[in-house]
Amino acid sequence: MQTPGPENSPARPALLVALVVLALIVTTIYARESDRGPLHTTRSAVQSMVRPVETAGTWLTTPIRATSAWMSSLGVSRAEVAELRAQNGELRRRNAELEEARQENERLRGLVRLVEAQKLASLGARVIGRPENSWEGVITVDRGSADGVKVGMPVMGADGLLGQTVTVAKHSAKVRLITDQRSGVASMLQSSRAEGIVRGSINGQLTMDFVSKTATVTPGEVVLTSGMGGVFPKGLVVGEVLDVSAPANALYPLIKVRPTAKLQGIEEVLILTGPTSAPDVGSTE
Amino acid sequence: MRRGLYTAGAILLAVLLQVGLAPALSLGGVVPNFLLLVTVTLALVEGPNWGATAGFSAGLLFDLLGSGPIGPMALVLAVVGYVAGMLSANMFAEGWLLPLSVLAIASVVTGMAYGLLITVFVGTGSFWQGFVSVVLPEALYNVALGLLLYPVLARFLRRDRPMNTFRRLA
Repeated sequence: MQTPGPENSPARPALLVALVVLALIVTTIYARESDRGPLHTTRSAVQSMVRPVETAGTWLTTPIRATSAWMSSLGVSRAEVAELRAQNGELRRRNAELEEARQENERLRGLVRLVEAQKLASLGARVIGRPENSWEGVITVDRGSADGVKVGMPVMGADGLLGQTVTVAKHSAKVRLITDQRSGVASMLQSSRAEGIVRGSINGQLTMDFVSKTATVTPGEVVLTSGMGGVFPKGLVVGEVLDVSAPANALYPLIKVRPTAKLQGIEEVLILTGPTSAPDVGSTE
Repeated sequence: MRRGLYTAGAILLAVLLQVGLAPALSLGGVVPNFLLLVTVTLALVEGPNWGATAGFSAGLLFDLLGSGPIGPMALVLAVVGYVAGMLSANMFAEGWLLPLSVLAIASVVTGMAYGLLITVFVGTGSFWQGFVSVVLPEALYNVALGLLLYPVLARFLRRDRPMNTFRRLA
């Protein structure tokens, strides 16, 4: 049986053509305007508007992530179940809260140590949003232009480089992860000092391109930022070489890189705002 | 007027789901596209003109929420909404297979077209790598969600006729 079709107006191809042309105009304007142009400003405004929804979504879905983490740790904690049964519910709840605080403290200490070692000024931020579509490896953090964040600032995790800020709203910013297909980091190999570009890909794999064929590259070698181009400070840990191969007709070796920083489930990050203003330690006379 | 309000409400709902819920539903980096789902549903319910307009609006919001160029998804969803809308007169036959087939095809076409545009505009990425690792898994994910959400959305949008069962509705 077929129900009657809806009484829709006849198709108007002119409308479709107009919308396609409009979309192309919008794309062209976006490509040509500056970071303060109307479309960039509109994007910042829209992202500011949806920030509470992102924050609420992240908060509301915390139990899902916590349950997932708990289930993955069942194998380890099962042996302790008998002992834990002796404890009452209130103690367990408090223990969980303290454990959460301890882990957070540990992560933050790691971040601070890392940045102090690099002598870089930084700003701590919480992750309030994760990738919203399959095409982008972009997270949202709760710091924005009101906190001094600008487009292009490097972002670190406790274990290494995470990415850089790409759009900044007043109280939030989008961070493009190094695994994103549009990401490229000027890098070098720690021991051979051979330079190249670490690129992300659509499936989240990292490769190091443009490394000379004459360079000796071994799996496990550490990959650092080279400082070339001035976007990322020199010496930040990007990852380690996972695999090296030399395709017959390729100009450069194919180097796969494993990121050092944990890119899944990040909760806190540090935005590097610039070099620290070093105190003058020279002679006073 | 009321039709426009329902359309705007559906797109707003899709934005909220895309921002608030979709990141938590990520499976291996693949995130469902609620804006596409709503565009296809609107097109099937309201026809090509509304489908194209809704697709353009939803796509523009998708672009604004992301960090890439603004415009490509608006272009793609406008076309997808229009073409899907052309099928609207034949869509409310009994059965659920036809709407979900349209959704699956729309997902694949949207992914391919968007991937192609991104490759052209931004100049990075491998089209085929994206097809295998993003387009196909996302299409499957969208269809799975469509199975759950399409009947609800269509009921919400098509209030001018009673729809009591999933079978009748789809």
